[in-house]
Order: sequence, then C-alpha cells, then structure tokens
Amino acid sequence: MTASARILDHFAKSNGSEPIRVLGASGQLGYGVPTPAFTAGLERKPHLIGCDMGSIDPGPYYLGSGELATAPAATRRDLRKVLLGALKLKIPLVIGSAGSAGARPHLEKTLAIVREIAREEGLHFKLGVLRADIDRNVLKAAIRSNGVASIDDMPALDAAEVDAAANIVGQMGMSAFQRALQAGVDVIIAGRACDTAIFASLPSMVGFPTGPAQHMAKIIECASLCCVPGGRDSILATLDHEGFVLESMAPQRRATPVSVAAHSLYEQSDPFTVQEPEGKLDLGRATYNAIDDRRTRVVGAVWEDAREPWVKIEGARQVGERAILLCGTADPRFIAKHEQLLKEVEGVVRDLVCEDAAEDYTLSWRVYGVNGVRMTPVTQNTEPAEAFIMGECIAPTAARAAEVVRTTKQYLLHHGYEGRLSTGGNLAFPFTPPEVSVGPAYRFNVYHLMRADDLDALFPLDIETL
Amino acid sequence: MLLQDFAQVVRSKNAGPRRFTLDIIFRNDADYQRAAQSEALTAEKIAPLYGVAADRITVINYPLGRAIKIVVPRQIMSGDPGDRDVYGAQQHTPLLRLEI
Repeated sequence: MTASARILDHFAKSNGSEPIRVLGASGQLGYGVPTPAFTAGLERKPHLIGCDMGSIDPGPYYLGSGELATAPAATRRDLRKVLLGALKLKIPLVIGSAGSAGARPHLEKTLAIVREIAREEGLHFKLGVLRADIDRNVLKAAIRSNGVASIDDMPALDAAEVDAAANIVGQMGMSAFQRALQAGVDVIIAGRACDTAIFASLPSMVGFPTGPAQHMAKIIECASLCCVPGGRDSILATLDHEGFVLESMAPQRRATPVSVAAHSLYEQSDPFTVQEPEGKLDLGRATYNAIDDRRTRVVGAVWEDAREPWVKIEGARQVGERAILLCGTADPRFIAKHEQLLKEVEGVVRDLVCEDAAEDYTLSWRVYGVNGVRMTPVTQNTEPAEAFIMGECIAPTAARAAEVVRTTKQYLLHHGYEGRLSTGGNLAFPFTPPEVSVGPAYRFNVYHLMRADDLDALFPLDIETL
Repeated sequence: MLLQDFAQVVRSKNAGPRRFTLDIIFRNDADYQRAAQSEALTAEKIAPLYGVAADRITVINYPLGRAIKIVVPRQIMSGDPGDRDVYGAQQHTPLLRLEI
C-alpha cells in the first residue's frame, strides 16, 4: 500500500474525529534542513511532510538557464533526509517547485538526485512526478482567445515572446497534487507549484475545510519563519475542522499571535487575501490566539472557489551574455567626478570596440558607496572614503561582453582627467583577472495569468516505481 | 521621533517581480496607533521617496499584526538589466528617517 493510499484510508475511517498533522520541513529545500527540529517533527507522527523547493524571488536566471540555485551536495543532503524520514513513517512526502524554478530541466535534475539516493540507500517507492511546463501552442491559443492577462502592469504577452522564452511554467494548485495522492504514491515531486498547494491538498481532500488548510499552508511553507525568532527549522501544524495550531519543532522558536499574524504580510501585496488558481483565501476575519508561549491557534480563514481557474505563468528569455568588471577606488578626486569619468571612458571604449563592429552591447555601472543599491536616486552631501565600482556589459556573445569589459578596465584604470594626481592608476583590483564572464543574462518576459479550462491536461502526472 | 527609533521592523521585499512591499511592524498597539494616525505614512508622503506617483502606491493598515504595509511598483522588474536589488530587500532605507 502506498503512503498516500494509507493516509487517505486512515482519514476515511476516522470520519472526521482526528486532526491532521502536517510537517513543514523546509521553505527552501537545498539550503539545509536543520536535523534536530526535523527529527523532533518526525517524532510527532505527522501525516504528511511538505517541502517548498523554489520561488520566483531569485530572479530570472534560474528559470531561464535551467540551473538550480542550490548547491548539488546540499540539495542531495536535504532530499535524502526528507525521503528517509517520510518513507520510515510511511507518509507522503510532497515537494513543490522542484529545483528552484520548477521547469523541466530543474525537475529532471531533482529527479536524477532522488533516483540516485534511492539506488544508494536501497529505497523502493512510488514516485509521482507532476510537470509544470506550459505548452507554447496552448499558451498562444490562450492569447488568441483573450485567455491571458497581465499581472501588475506587465506588458501584454504575444506569440513572439512565447517563442523567445527559454522556459515557461505554470503554478499548479491543489487539484494536481490531489490527482497524484489519489493515484497512490509515496513521494510527489512537482514542477512549479503554488507553495500552499504542497501542504493544503491532502487536508482539503480528506474533508478538512479548505480555508484553514490553505491558511495553514501559507504559513508553514516558510517553515519556522513565522516565529520569534524566525528560522528555517521544521514546523508542525495540527489542523482540525475549525482551525489549526502552529508549533515550531525548534524549542527556541515561539509562534506567537503577533508573529504569526505578521507573517501574512511577508512577500504579499495584500495581507487579507491570497489569490490561488482554484480560489481565493480571505483572511479578513482570521483570529490568532496563544495556547501557550510557544503555540498559536488560528481560526477564521474563508475559502472561496474560483468560477474559472486562472493559472499564474512565468517565463524567462535570454537577453545576451553578461561580463562584469570589479574594482574599487579611494581617490577623492576620482570619486567626486566619477559620473563624468565613467561616461568619458564609455565613449573611449565605444570608439575602440565599435571601430569594426556595431554598438551591440550595453555597459552600465553600479557605484557602491554612492548609489549602487537604492532603486531611486540618492542625494548625499559628503563623498564616501572609498567606492566599489561594478561595470556590467550585456552583449550578444560572451566574447563580445568580455572584450568590452577588458577594454573598459584598461581605459578606466588609466583615464586622465583635469586635476588628477594618481597617475599610476585610478583603480584598485583585489585580484586579477578583475573581469568575470558571468554567463547568459535573462529577463522575465512572462508573468501573466492564463485561463485554464483543463488543469489535468496542463499539469500531467507520471508515476514511476523505484 | 524618527521611524527607525521606535519601529520594531522596517523591511522591504519583492511581492512578485514587479513590486516590492515595505512592512513596518511596531512593538505595541500604542506605537502602531501613533504611526497609523500620523500623516507621515500616506501614499503622498511615500511617493516622492521612491520616485513614483502617489496613486500607484498602496498603504494598508494591518492592526492584527501591528503593521503598516506599503506596496510600491518597481521601476525595473526584478533581475532585468539595470536592476540593483533582485530580491528588493534593501529598499526600506528611505523610510528610516521619516519623522512620525
């Protein structure tokens, strides 16, 4: 009997008399799952272990390139830990947004590690694989039938951008996970998914109300981040038919009413509503009460089913190859005039590298210590004692980007100007080479909603027996 | 009094790649009420700090969390060429010295 069949059977028999315990093992699998809290969580006999593994937050590179943001060794360590834990207890392990961005290459890399661990440890289980890649023809048809809408003033999507995207994924919701759980699996590895669906799908399908289940999921997908002090340790949620109790599995982390309520603010533009593909979570009447100084009980979230499902889709396209220049300066005259000097050097470089080629690149600057971080202009009255200068070139090829930053380095180092005293060089390099080829540069070109009449077809399930 | 001297948390973070949100969380209800009722944290006051029009900024009072949330559109989408803060986690500093 598979773990999901066992748990579904268990709750069918308990007839609503028993709460369900869900262990939020990690908010970002692959960055480390602290063992003491995870082990303490297993001792509480949870019915499900959930792990979120990805996000759109780290930017377009990972989605575009197909690379994982986490280190292979750390990813393997975390996957082994949660696999062994779930299989030992014979409970479902659900992992969403596999491999940082949840497109096919991320999913395949994650699955390869899982298969390898299974081989090494002699593990045998049924693995449900849910894919999240959006078929370009399906998306283009949706554009033609007005089934695609922009999010947050994103430009309208067209067929050319669909073709240009390296990867396009959709965020699957609860129905995809429920299909896998119903089919009978021990482990689910899903491509891009709503964080909440990882944890809410099982409770919702065995009869717990979706409002509190989704609210619980929204909080525990970040592990113990909702506590004071916040942290990465596993968290246990115990859900009944009215609400749920949160308890960090690390003794020093306390889930208090204010810390839990405040978590609704995190990375959300609206603390009262959470939009999901299959409905909307209304937190306007949620209440938070302390059970003791480490546990908080939450009730009152209301779920409203969507009239038609809209899936959030994400895509990234390559915009060129990136090379950077890293250097510093402590010269007060150079710092005072840096804006003008950087412009002058841009001109010198352009004249040289475009002598026999088109101006096919962009060269831009961040001057740390002056205005490298803030998105809005900074006015300051005093010049910094030192500044770090990062030059960034994006060009059609890696060779072209490297040519531009190497030329820039040399001419910025020796650029002469009125009042210059430091004729030995304008820059300090902490090491050489100070020019680095970073690899392909991407940007998000799909961040939209797509009307999805057939969620099952959009997020297909494969079952593999290991 | 400056916001940085009595708020418990002043943070920024992306809410999707096209916006960031500023969360200001207070130690107690009195501090929260003082800030919520002051004129310092209105869209009109915040807008010039971030170079956007006031009608593109949303301010949400959240008494349950003793918090005020401000949602600001990013002028460069997260990770686009020219971005300075992919996670949007360092855009809170213009708020620190606001007089409440």
